[in-house]
Amino acid sequence: MDSNDSQVVVSETADKSFLRELIEANVTRRLIPKGLSWFGCMGGLSLVAFIIQLSTGIFLMFYFIPNIRESLASIQHVSHSVPYGWLIQRIHAIGPHIMVGMVFSHMLRILFKGIYRHPREMHWVSGACLLILTLLMYYTGSLLTAHNVNGHHPIHLTRIYATHVAGIPLSMALFMGIHFFMVRKTGIFESL
Amino acid sequence: MKDYTKNKSPEMLEPFFPNELFRHIIVSCFLVVVELIAIIIFPLPFKLTSKPDSIPWFLLPLYKLNKLIHSEVVFISLVVVCALLFVSWPYLIPDGKGEHHNLWQRPIPFAIVVITIIFVITVCILNL
Ligand code: HEM
Repeated sequence: MDSNDSQVVVSETADKSFLRELIEANVTRRLIPKGLSWFGCMGGLSLVAFIIQLSTGIFLMFYFIPNIRESLASIQHVSHSVPYGWLIQRIHAIGPHIMVGMVFSHMLRILFKGIYRHPREMHWVSGACLLILTLLMYYTGSLLTAHNVNGHHPIHLTRIYATHVAGIPLSMALFMGIHFFMVRKTGIFESL
Repeated sequence: MKDYTKNKSPEMLEPFFPNELFRHIIVSCFLVVVELIAIIIFPLPFKLTSKPDSIPWFLLPLYKLNKLIHSEVVFISLVVVCALLFVSWPYLIPDGKGEHHNLWQRPIPFAIVVITIIFVITVCILNL
């Protein structure tokens, strides 16, 4: 075996143990305080609800036509002609009502338990922005179909669509990054 | 990352994997079931029209406030100011002395929250 070969082997084992350490420290060997409240799951559930919206939304993007004349027809096409399209469309339309409920109960728990206090101010600030963005998400999304009811709208449908599928979700991803980074940094709140 | 094992005896701790992960999977499945049940109960699309009964509960206060305030400029400014107050809440409410985290034990923030909730509900049930 020449010296080059053995060096490769060494760096590979070093990499493996690094990965293993990462997994052990963060998952398999990680210890957390006992007796966390089930109500504390609301943040995690908001995240799951968001991911459901994201995945069904990406599916709907393949079919939706952001045009006043064709948008209703494209939604009808997804719901009636595409296999299981109705299910995806229904989940995407009803999910937000549940997601808003989850985010609100998450917020109320933090408000009433006073968890927003120092050192968790930034958790609140990023979270409150997430709540506002969630409501804006609902509003822009409902305008996409409301068009078909009203016939016309002063704002161009393409703008609303771009805001709904790219602008707001990307800023939500940014604020979620801040939110989760802060939660990891301070650790979750433990009542004494 | 915070180390939860500090100042704690082993009985006060539990493993993240699989205990905590399992709990998260259970509640996530619960969420999926709730969504599927909702689909069965509400088969028609939720549409936002100009009729108040199709406005979801969480946008109703804004809708009513918009009807209450005739000037668009005043309405939007008011909403923006409220949003800013909401975002900066931890900095506006002074840190209470001692160990009172709980809102129930802190009269001033508690009063603000309760008055806001009563105000929002009143706006919602106003017949405009
Ligand atoms: C899309 C919306 C949101 C998502 C996905 C989200 C997600 C999460 C998650 C996963 C956690 C960690 C575990 C937990 O305590 O549940 C958390 C913690 C927290 N969130 Fe949110 N959140 C959202 C909105 C909000 C809102 C609206 C607020 C308040 C205005 C907020 C304030 C906080 C605070 C203060 C913590 C720290 C809790 C602790 O230390 O135990 N979040 N969030």
